[in-house]
Amino acid sequence: MTVDLTQFHDAFFEESFEALDTMEAALLKLDIGAPDSELINTIFRVAHSIKGGSATFGFSEIASFTHSLETLLDELRSGSMPVTVEVSDLLLKSVDVMRAMLRAVQSKQPIDAQRVSDLQFDLEVAIARKSEPAPAAPGRAQGPAIGASPGAPQSAGHPATVAGPSSPAAAQAPGWQIRFRPFRELLVRGNDPVRMLRELAELGELQVRIDTQALPPLTDINPQDCHLSWTLELPGEVAEEAIRQVFEWAEGDCDLIIERAPSPARAEPLPTPASAADGAMQTQANAAAPDAPHDALPEPAVLTQTPPPPAHAAPPRPEATVSALGDSGSIRVSVEKIDELMNTVGELVITQAMLSQLGAQIEGTQAERLRAGLAQLERNMRELQESVMRVRMLPISFVFSRFPRMVRDLAQRLGKQIELKLTGEQTELDKTVLEKIGDPLVHLVRNCIDHGIESPEVRIAAGKPAAGTVHLDASHRGGNISVEVSDDGGGLDRTRILAKARARALIGANEALSDSEIHELIFQPGFSTAEKTTDLSGRGVGMDVVRRNVKELGGKVELASEPGRGSRFTITLPLTLAIVDGQSVAVGSETYIVPLISIVESMQLKPAGVTRLSGQGEVFSFRGDYLPILRLHELFGVEPNTRALDEGLVVVAEGDGRRVGLFVDDLLGQQQVVIKSLEANYGHIDGISGATILGDGSVALILDVPGLIRVASLRAAA
Amino acid sequence: MSTKTTSEQQQRAGDSSQVLTFVLGNETYGVDILRVQEIRGWSAVTKIPHAPAHVLGVLNLRGSIVPIVDLRMRFALERAEYTTVTVIIVMSVVTPSGSRDFGVVVDGVSDVVDVNSSEIKPAPELGTRAATDYLLGLVSIAERMVVLLDIDRLIGRDLAVVPGTADDSHDEHVADGASAGSLAANAA
Repeated sequence: MTVDLTQFHDAFFEESFEALDTMEAALLKLDIGAPDSELINTIFRVAHSIKGGSATFGFSEIASFTHSLETLLDELRSGSMPVTVEVSDLLLKSVDVMRAMLRAVQSKQPIDAQRVSDLQFDLEVAIARKSEPAPAAPGRAQGPAIGASPGAPQSAGHPATVAGPSSPAAAQAPGWQIRFRPFRELLVRGNDPVRMLRELAELGELQVRIDTQALPPLTDINPQDCHLSWTLELPGEVAEEAIRQVFEWAEGDCDLIIERAPSPARAEPLPTPASAADGAMQTQANAAAPDAPHDALPEPAVLTQTPPPPAHAAPPRPEATVSALGDSGSIRVSVEKIDELMNTVGELVITQAMLSQLGAQIEGTQAERLRAGLAQLERNMRELQESVMRVRMLPISFVFSRFPRMVRDLAQRLGKQIELKLTGEQTELDKTVLEKIGDPLVHLVRNCIDHGIESPEVRIAAGKPAAGTVHLDASHRGGNISVEVSDDGGGLDRTRILAKARARALIGANEALSDSEIHELIFQPGFSTAEKTTDLSGRGVGMDVVRRNVKELGGKVELASEPGRGSRFTITLPLTLAIVDGQSVAVGSETYIVPLISIVESMQLKPAGVTRLSGQGEVFSFRGDYLPILRLHELFGVEPNTRALDEGLVVVAEGDGRRVGLFVDDLLGQQQVVIKSLEANYGHIDGISGATILGDGSVALILDVPGLIRVASLRAAA
Repeated sequence: MSTKTTSEQQQRAGDSSQVLTFVLGNETYGVDILRVQEIRGWSAVTKIPHAPAHVLGVLNLRGSIVPIVDLRMRFALERAEYTTVTVIIVMSVVTPSGSRDFGVVVDGVSDVVDVNSSEIKPAPELGTRAATDYLLGLVSIAERMVVLLDIDRLIGRDLAVVPGTADDSHDEHVADGASAGSLAANAA
């Protein structure tokens, strides 16, 4: 019997692409010279699983290439070859080649064999060259990194090995026991315990034990205070002077006791998990905790984590443990199934609302119990709905992860020095929003790098550090997610934008513009101030597309800029496209939902405040502006309860930068509504973005304010 | 009325099919039973702006929004009052953009009958401009004439050509130009 392997191809490609993303991210985090063994293992695992998979499915080119790659990685893993810039570049190129190969195989296109064999040759040359004396000292290459490398907060959670896994022989020699108890102000005085530990680790195979007993509760932690102390054991013949030198700068800021280790035997067995539970933790990476308090704060697990059982004795096998965790931690579910689940839950919510309404009307002895049960049902329903919503939520790191590579490549190409800062990567948002936010963000980041950040010479001349910073930050704000892209570059060039706008006759020659009006200009289609068109930007397609994409998602883009200090784009988006916060309004017997994000204010009009303009219809005065009145009953052809403007209400709404007053009979209430498609069974209606189902089971239409304004202005023109 | 039992119907495979018949005014119409999703009583609909007159509005059908078409108005019959005995038949139609659900308001549902394709007589060519391509044919059941409808042609087109779809990016919902043209012919 033969098994048709093609049915597994899709899964293989999907997993391989994901794995390559992981590999790329790990490569970018890798510190040249002092690589984190955990990261190398991650990279190795990716290459290994792709090799295995492609061999199984008969993709021999991929298998052969990954085999060479694996050989090189094995050298890195064993430490017999140092991680250099060249190697790191080579590996990044390999990621690209593997991606291209997978894509070619997936779409049944021929593989670019020349590119593959060129790189494979380079890989083999690199492997062959390792026999030459490595530039870095072997001891250094062997001496693994302590703690987390900056910019790799996750790795703070993984135990990185300070002590080499092997060579108990060295531990036989009598060593030193160092008790290092920093005062609270150590960090503020500019001392870095991690640096000291790292220096000590170079003197010999350092065993580190951390004491977290002084650590206050998480809420009381001041990240600038040092609450940790260490007991260090340094085996082997090391001069006391050398040890004291390490702590030279910390003198007066800490209690330091350096004494001979009692016996060689004491030096070897380190605390068992039991003693660690007393509060003294054998840490390895945790030594980095004071170094990275921000990273530690949101993840208390890092601090309370029980140490792995005798990690110093058994050579760690991270492959096994990590992949086991990965397998059991998540399952792959098709989006359709989740959508189905969402629909069913939506139905349940409506049914529950109907029951609650019925329950409120029932009288009698049982009614109270019924109502209590219904209230319980309502709470449970809300939780269920939230959990199901969360299933669709993914951290924004899925989008952010593409930027380190992009920024690195762009910076190299443009000869700029750029540091990318990512924060709030764990902020979650709906998958559909996530998929659509990627391109606008790429555009903004490119824009920052191309237009924002100056060349190193210009920066130094302006008294700024040579390396510019591009910062991406995501956070939740109310029911929205806000993503900021900021840079510390030159900011928007007012004069150039003005000159360009005048040249293009977007504004008059002598028109004076406020800052916000100038900012508005760069969102105009076809607007670019770049002196030369590069393949990055300058073709004038960009900011208007960014704004349009964001608007399609129901969000907005804002811009703040300060000359010489940089600029900041803030994108505000709804967390999900499935739910909208709405105000229900009544017009005759119909109920409509106005999205809250479009509403400026609701008010009652006085007859005196309304003017009829010929050709413009009715306008009313609102904060110094005259806004047109759109009578919803006329637009939608329904019979209203009132036509007198002072008897109904006006909802001032904004769309596409224009404001109008929507005339309705009454306001009903605010609620979150689940958006249902009208187009699934019917079609698009101008001015209506969708429908929802109200508590009584009836359907209400959701207004699309920008669309309404367009319809109304077309009518006025006609 | 036909009184065939289910087991008999199942034995008679081949080119026989089952038809749900319903009454509209003085006529009896039939549609393929496989297209029928459910039969439900009348409830108030939510009006849709700018919709053709025979599209009454939309209803919530277990979570999806379903347009409701009044067949009397579609066939230019005298309009009837909607009462508690008014019936909505929910059907699915196949349109160029995929399958869609919609409900039709009829006077009453009659029966489910077996129809052998050899019994179906073609609809007579009347030579008028009234397009009759949505008529599959006529079949005589228990001495009553039943008009078999092709709902894809009858309704699919109406749903496919709704205001607002012709001018913007939602053109996946727009049927081919030919059907839009014939709809115009219908109206004339």
